Amino acid sequence: MTSPEDPEDPLAVQLLAANAGDGQAYARFLQAVAPVLRGIVRARGRSLPPDQHEDIVQEILLAIHLKRQTWDPASPLRPWLYAIARYKVIDACRRRGIRVHLPIEDYSDVLPAEEGADPLAARDDRREVDRLLGQLDPRSAEVVRALALREEAPGDVSARLAMSPGNLRVTLHRAMKRLATFGQEDKS
Amino acid sequence: MTSTDELIARLAEDPPPPAFSPRRIAALAMASIALPAAAFLLAAGMRPALLSAWVNPLVPLKTALPLAICVLSLLTLLRLARPGARPGIAGWLLLTPVAAATVLWLGAFALLPPAERFAEVGIASVGECLGAIILLSIIPTVCILRLLREGAAMNPPLSGALVGMTAAAGAATGYSLFCTQDNPLFFVSWYGLALLVVTGAGAAFGGRVLRW
Repeated sequence: MTSPEDPEDPLAVQLLAANAGDGQAYARFLQAVAPVLRGIVRARGRSLPPDQHEDIVQEILLAIHLKRQTWDPASPLRPWLYAIARYKVIDACRRRGIRVHLPIEDYSDVLPAEEGADPLAARDDRREVDRLLGQLDPRSAEVVRALALREEAPGDVSARLAMSPGNLRVTLHRAMKRLATFGQEDKS
Repeated sequence: MTSTDELIARLAEDPPPPAFSPRRIAALAMASIALPAAAFLLAAGMRPALLSAWVNPLVPLKTALPLAICVLSLLTLLRLARPGARPGIAGWLLLTPVAAATVLWLGAFALLPPAERFAEVGIASVGECLGAIILLSIIPTVCILRLLREGAAMNPPLSGALVGMTAAAGAATGYSLFCTQDNPLFFVSWYGLALLVVTGAGAAFGGRVLRW
């Protein structure tokens, strides 16, 4: 197939090219989609704290990335895109919904100063890092150790763990986010 | 550069994914149904005089109804593997074999004398029927759930239920060529119960396995 069903939609044209291997078209597609997603997250995620909106935008971008081959070029792009965004916003609400979110500023005079924000930098202590990484699945933990702690070359790591470079990046991104939430939970 | 821009730059370096092919999934799904069923029929044998039994028009229905359910539910779950897609005609057509089976059951109940209605029901006969269909469903359920992870089901329990339904209806189609119980009250009830059990299990597993 060389042209999408709806050639009027520039996003459809870009994603079609992207799925055929055009990385630049793909970057333009994601850049164009990000503001659309921000709008959706603002509109649908009212119950979510605004400082997490950009995290959710990134989660939707990752979902689009991992499922981009499920768009059928014979059907319009927007319903597909909005369905993924809706699914991920609901997912985000479900996962974050249970946790009560209070703005930290209100407590700044009662709480002691934090030692640091970065979940790994703040905990140089080896045992503490091992404990945090132990909460991840072993594969993600190894990716974090190799890339973030030992700073090995991504190419070597992806060869050693038999993961594609893309899969490696996505795994690292997710693992770091989960570590950040573990860190927050520990402090609260 | 914000972290979102960085993420986009990293994602854009990835090679394009292999195409999502419902046709390939459908072919592999059918193979995962047909192989265990064929092995069972080779080992246990088809019922004697299968073709002459089909002179009674109710007997081919025992094969045709599960086959229709299997095909329609497979088509529906493949459609639902794409975000934003509607179930389509196949999803609605799925109601027709279910309605036909209900009519068949009620008709047989009304026409048969009370003593003959549940004459064949026994632990051995029901156990054989339920056990065989459920066992033959296991491999296809696992295979189709795995295949469906290539897609993106928006409602994982629903898609999982359709996986179970496809597998069990396919297993029942194969089993029906062995089965000699031709009373609709028997086969609609017990094929139906096996189908419900596997559909429920599919919904439960699908809710976990098909999330993304």
